[in-house]
Amino acid sequence: MREISVTVNGRARKRMIKDNELLLDFLRERLEVRSVKAACWRGECGLCTVMLDGHLVKSCLVLAVEADGRVVKTVEGITDDGELAPIQKAFVTHGAAQCGFCTPAWVLATHELLRVNPHPSDVDLVEATSGLVCRCGTYNQIRDAVAEVSAATKVRRLPRESLARA
Amino acid sequence: MSFGSPYTTLPDFEYHRPTSLEEALGMLRQYGDEAKLMGGGVGLIAFMKERLMSPTHVIDLKEVKEFKLLNNAPGKGLTIGAAVTLSELLEGGMLRKEYTVLHEALAKVADPMIRRRATLVGNLCEAIPWVDSPPALIALDATVAIAGPDGRRNVPVSGFIRGPVDIDLGPSEIVTAIDIPQAKGAQSAFEKFTGGSEFSLASVAVMMSNDGRNRRARVVYGSVNSTPVRSADVEETIGDGITPRSIRKAADLASEKVECVDDVLATAAYRRHLLKVITTKVLKRMIQ
Repeated sequence: MREISVTVNGRARKRMIKDNELLLDFLRERLEVRSVKAACWRGECGLCTVMLDGHLVKSCLVLAVEADGRVVKTVEGITDDGELAPIQKAFVTHGAAQCGFCTPAWVLATHELLRVNPHPSDVDLVEATSGLVCRCGTYNQIRDAVAEVSAATKVRRLPRESLARA
Repeated sequence: MSFGSPYTTLPDFEYHRPTSLEEALGMLRQYGDEAKLMGGGVGLIAFMKERLMSPTHVIDLKEVKEFKLLNNAPGKGLTIGAAVTLSELLEGGMLRKEYTVLHEALAKVADPMIRRRATLVGNLCEAIPWVDSPPALIALDATVAIAGPDGRRNVPVSGFIRGPVDIDLGPSEIVTAIDIPQAKGAQSAFEKFTGGSEFSLASVAVMMSNDGRNRRARVVYGSVNSTPVRSADVEETIGDGITPRSIRKAADLASEKVECVDDVLATAAYRRHLLKVITTKVLKRMIQ
């Protein structure tokens, strides 16, 4: 066992962990951040996606100990003021969730896509979310939600080089 | 925790995070067979969950300073350190112009979240027959830089991969980087067919170099055999130029001469058909 300190959604959290513990387990079981879902455990479904130091990663493929001293953000942390983010409101408007199990991951991923690329094409959207699945098949509604936020955003497209497309 | 299923837990191990190559080599010497090296961890964590590997020591190479090196100095070729991720290589399209074949191969590996973690060196060292980076690296004439207790050595990628999950790396050695020679004025491209599988059923990497006097083609097929296969027949056919006529001949030769195997993903006969399709596709794109 060793102690790690991780900033999760703006709060420094310290816990004792085992070296072989996954970041997914650390977040869900030790910190009870239940928006991070455990489903396939093998990096295919993407429902355990979190932001680690500003980048989307699948937390079932990251060791908890690797997050020591680093910053994690989950869907709970995408806004600071307790209000819903534009993409969350659009998910509600367009019914872009059915069972809701995958929704936190999709919200996080589309929120981040719109941050780096305010006007994504369908190809950009498909590429950016190619690591996520929705077994209810709400892909069309998610696309509509993204399109709505994109249309409502006045920001011009960022220069191509600055896009974190990969 | 984790429903107690073996597939959701990892075997017990001690985690190490060396910051220098010497420290990493020292740990490898100390723990020997009980240790596994970790780059992005994407492969290792998956293999450990399935208990295909149960190391008692995991040595994470991400904080080794030398391994973060990504050098793309003009005129000097490209050096990709062992901790450089696929995302870092794709960012800003830095490979797109000179090393197009590698850019195209990496851009379709898994998904953006996995590419954020996975390293090119890790991808290569897994030596899974169906992954896309080896054919692209061989087309670019890349070499693997290795450090061990007896010093450093370099091996061409083509010789480094000896078979499925079999690489030319001793138990006390570490791959430090991949070096790719300058490819100025060259034209290259990559094509693959996955048919919805998570791996390629067949892939092709083409590199046409032209130093003003000599034109030379390198054509490497991936996923059709246990290791990537170069085709001298196809290289000779398009060596003098890619034309509609040479494309037809190259596609036929690829299908006839490149040795394909049956495996869990596809039959050899289907792969021979795919070779014709992807050879035509990649070469047509190169003259458009």
